[in-house]
Amino acid sequence: MVVLKYLFNVLVFPGLLFSALVGLILSGLDRKIVARMQKRIGPPLIQPIYDFFKLLGKETIVPRAASRRTFLYAPVIGLLALVTVSLFIPIFKYTAVSTVADIIVILYLLTIPAVALIMGGAASGSPYAGVGISREMVAIISYELPLVIVLLTIGKQVGMVLNKGAITFSLSQIVSYQAEYGPMITNWRLIPAALALLLIIPIKVGSVPFDIAEAEIEICEGPLVEYSGAPLAIFKLNHAIKMFIMTSLFVTLFLSGKGTGILIVDIILQILLSAVIVVISISTLKAITARLKVEQVLKFFWTYPTALALLSLILVWIGR
Amino acid sequence: MFKKLIEKSFEKSPWLFHLNTGSCNGCDIEIVSVITPRYDAERMGFKLTGSPRHADIVLVTGPITSQSRDRLIRTLAQVPDPKVVVSIGSCPRSTNVFNGSYSVEGPLDKYVPIDVSIAGCPPKPEAIIDGLAKAIEILREKRRAMK
Ligand code: SF4
Repeated sequence: MVVLKYLFNVLVFPGLLFSALVGLILSGLDRKIVARMQKRIGPPLIQPIYDFFKLLGKETIVPRAASRRTFLYAPVIGLLALVTVSLFIPIFKYTAVSTVADIIVILYLLTIPAVALIMGGAASGSPYAGVGISREMVAIISYELPLVIVLLTIGKQVGMVLNKGAITFSLSQIVSYQAEYGPMITNWRLIPAALALLLIIPIKVGSVPFDIAEAEIEICEGPLVEYSGAPLAIFKLNHAIKMFIMTSLFVTLFLSGKGTGILIVDIILQILLSAVIVVISISTLKAITARLKVEQVLKFFWTYPTALALLSLILVWIGR
Repeated sequence: MFKKLIEKSFEKSPWLFHLNTGSCNGCDIEIVSVITPRYDAERMGFKLTGSPRHADIVLVTGPITSQSRDRLIRTLAQVPDPKVVVSIGSCPRSTNVFNGSYSVEGPLDKYVPIDVSIAGCPPKPEAIIDGLAKAIEILREKRRAMK
């Protein structure tokens, strides 16, 4: 029975099928909203699903210069890591897997898709991919610092109340704190951290002002340049799932709480809130900005989001 | 069912790759105008991609110059099957005003079979969208023939 339950968790809900479907629809929503902001009609909401299945039907070419096995397995590794992360994120009170330090697990697992992208790009043997992976590394360096500080801030706030001052790394504890004291966003000390996380989401999913690694105009989609067919489809799926996971993480960290108690309503609520975050932090930024340069991204993330997150951390530390 | 879904997806999400083989830039600008808010080809799922490996439909503009000939052949070989080649404007069809130039090696059908050819110098965006709609049908037929 336990095995069956875990199998269900991994493959259907909240694992592969659920997060893939929601992620694809959220990225369709993103494209639609951007189109509406540019006064276009835009593609249908399920366009990413069409894209995914079309790519499955295409021929898969492995370039002669590529190292075949790494080239083909890299997207799958990224997908596995993302499915694992999706198990750890609580949907209000519901969690599939819960440990004492799931924030650390998530933090590590969330870098694996980026590493998979780097691996795949490096294995493809294309110079464009070479430029792309070096840029992807710059992106990782720039967002990792503020992200860690944001998570520390929340851990500290929850820990001070529930844990006698020790920082907590448990997401379910964060949720139960919010169930008691209201969503984290209502605490004014944490608003800078929320803003910082809103800026981190677009670089994590690689969308427009910060998509230096996949700049399709300058370096032909960087690490993805040699991919075609099914591996490319899985990379696109990774991208969509990452979008859902990051926004869902934001909802869990800042907007969560008791929920309604009925699982299905909670799930719908979580998806709706994630959609709102997609619109705010990904689509709006995408529609109003143009791509930054590589060094600008690094500079931006090490100043504004880091400063915002640090401000929150200090406020939380000296508060109360 | 799975096969039907993939076939349907081919109709709904054709990705374009734009290949300039020495055009005067008139046709290229018309292609860009197809994805602007006024004509918005993205509502039918068209998307310009940066890499030939991601493309379903290749748009070729310009007479084939001797500089671009080898690159044309190499790029088209990189596009995964099923693929459709669309020639935009009179240049790839007949080399147009560049006919007889020492550096022009066209027309395009000397090197690859053309599936759809859109006439005009440059063609109107409406004509390009119409041609792309025909290209989608051919793409679907080619996918059917694949398996
Ligand atoms: S068809 Fe006309 S507009 Fe197009 S590339 Fe040729 S000369 Fe230029």
